[in-house]
Amino acid sequence: MINNIDVILVLILLSVLLSLGSSRMMTLIKIMALQGALVSLAPIFLDQHSRLSSGGVLFFQLMFLIKTALIPGLLYMAVTKISIKREVEPIIGYHASIFTGLGLILLSVYITQRLGLSLHGDYAVLLITAITTLSGGLFLMMSRTKAITQVIGYLMLDNGIHLMGMALTKHSHNLYIVEFGVLLDLLVGVMIMGIILHNINRTFDDVDTMYLGQLKD
Amino acid sequence: MLESVFLLPLVVGLLTLFLPVRLGRIALVVTALLHLQITLLNWLHPFPSNFPGFFGSAPAGLLVLLVTSFIFVFISLYGIFYMKEQEMQSEPIFIGCMLLFLGTMSMAALADHPIVLWIAIEATTLVSAPLIFINRSKKALEATWKYVLICSVGIALALLGFFFITLSMDHAGLDVPLTFSSLNTAARQLDPVWLKTGFIFILIGFGTKMGLAPMHTWLPDAHSQAPSPASALLSGALLNCAFLGIYKVHTLMVLAGLGAFSGSLLIAFGLFSIVVAGIFILHQPDYKRMLAYSSIENMGVIAFGVGIGGLALYGAMLHLIHHSLLKSSLFLSAGNLVLGFGTKMVAKCGNMVRLMPKTFVAFFGGFIGISGLPPFGIFISEFMIVLGAFQTGHPVAATLFIASLILVVAGFAQIVTSMSFGPCQEEILVQEQILRVVPPLALLLTSVILCIWMPEALYQTIINAITVIGGTIHG
Repeated sequence: MINNIDVILVLILLSVLLSLGSSRMMTLIKIMALQGALVSLAPIFLDQHSRLSSGGVLFFQLMFLIKTALIPGLLYMAVTKISIKREVEPIIGYHASIFTGLGLILLSVYITQRLGLSLHGDYAVLLITAITTLSGGLFLMMSRTKAITQVIGYLMLDNGIHLMGMALTKHSHNLYIVEFGVLLDLLVGVMIMGIILHNINRTFDDVDTMYLGQLKD
Repeated sequence: MLESVFLLPLVVGLLTLFLPVRLGRIALVVTALLHLQITLLNWLHPFPSNFPGFFGSAPAGLLVLLVTSFIFVFISLYGIFYMKEQEMQSEPIFIGCMLLFLGTMSMAALADHPIVLWIAIEATTLVSAPLIFINRSKKALEATWKYVLICSVGIALALLGFFFITLSMDHAGLDVPLTFSSLNTAARQLDPVWLKTGFIFILIGFGTKMGLAPMHTWLPDAHSQAPSPASALLSGALLNCAFLGIYKVHTLMVLAGLGAFSGSLLIAFGLFSIVVAGIFILHQPDYKRMLAYSSIENMGVIAFGVGIGGLALYGAMLHLIHHSLLKSSLFLSAGNLVLGFGTKMVAKCGNMVRLMPKTFVAFFGGFIGISGLPPFGIFISEFMIVLGAFQTGHPVAATLFIASLILVVAGFAQIVTSMSFGPCQEEILVQEQILRVVPPLALLLTSVILCIWMPEALYQTIINAITVIGGTIHG
């Protein structure tokens, strides 16, 4: 029997690996849109969340809209404006990155087992996915030099934390209004980062963070 | 209602983004004054909260709110006259973001729900980012990028920390609303392992924002590149809000019987911050960076005091108040210096005592204060922290603390003397103006007054904030 939630989680894991291995900005943004869609769909397929209140339906629609349309849209606008096609020189190469991604999955399995949380079935896989996404995001931020890839890494980190919250906390704590606040922060954050990116590009003619090294002691 | 404290600046801030500059300046000062008034009214007769699950007036939050509101009044007054001299590319954005910044900080101070606190603190990062890169210079852009990225990642880790705290509730089978006040009453029942994990993540997350070493790397850049009124706010108000987040969780830890664990972590991070700041202040070529490192040092002092507890905890709270007053005053004076000398390099400034005598009084007074000399308040607070450290049996930490403070003062003194009396150019670019000197002087004066006479309500609030976790004034 194919379990819906497992399919979604495996797809999220695949999207993490794909993002680590792709050099084109547009592909990266498409992957992020897909990942956002999967992350916002995941709670609906978790057994605990099967009965939704009317507020919940509204919230999930908003989340789906923000994660799959608004944020990737903002990134798309940023990329077209600064006309950057691909990451030329990553600090860590693409093959090595994918390999690291696989290592991260193994590490996540190990961590999940060591935590001793006695999670049942789906939640264990969810936690593994969450930790992998989180650490994959951090890795992407550290191993790429273009500022826009770092924003994408931040988004992935945030997706990971979102999944982590889903895996660890009971649904009864999650007030939709509070979750919406977190989501709004993320949206505004990406907007602000987009504006700074645009300014960096105008001032330096590039969005490579290698140029950002004047301030130090 | 309680929420008006932060709704007012948020709404006015959004409006001023679209107002003409002149009207925006008026709106800035009027809102600042109104905000102080509402805050004071809330002190006298606490307003009921319309959303009791999310907001409430806890004593520590009230303290941070009052400090923020008070210094904001003077910073906004100074800001108006500063903006007249300094060409700004988009002043409405600057004014609007200042007000939004005030609003989000007030929200953080009043938050009772952990995630609401998190949302407010992340929002402070976002609305203060435009303040830093308002002039769009290369360095300012670099500073903003580091600020936004490092703080966002740091704060994201704090969110993870709050999830762990929720997990510690679930693990213990506890069913109370997720607010600090109700968690505090049920602290003993929380699962200790997950609570500890949560505290570590929150300390690292909010510690990044508070400027504790080694997560402080964004701070000197952002504080030195922002226009001076914004630096004064960042240093005098924002760091306190991040500290408040750590303090609330530390309170929870102490009530859960894990005070020794969180306390020793705070002591370690505090001491390390003071030492790092001391090393970087020596021979610092940029005086705004020097002030920024001094903020790191003072945040270290506060973390150290809170970690020690007892009398030192009272000292730490006093330190928070006086550091905000003195450091914002120093940054405002530094703004006058930047206008006058046209540079942030210590080597290119000099002879301040003759060229800018009024600013000299304010800057030198601030230096005396921040070095922990009487008659300013930091003298008392640092004295209490040292005393508390010896009393509670931390002689090694206390000695290290004193030694690092001496290092900081030495570095600071060398820079200030060379700027005040050293040789230099004969002329200055912008003459100093009495209106730009009064706000920093007023902030200094408040620090002196608070040493001689502290209002009963203020004293009582500090005591209320610290007695829960064993803080006391009677050593």
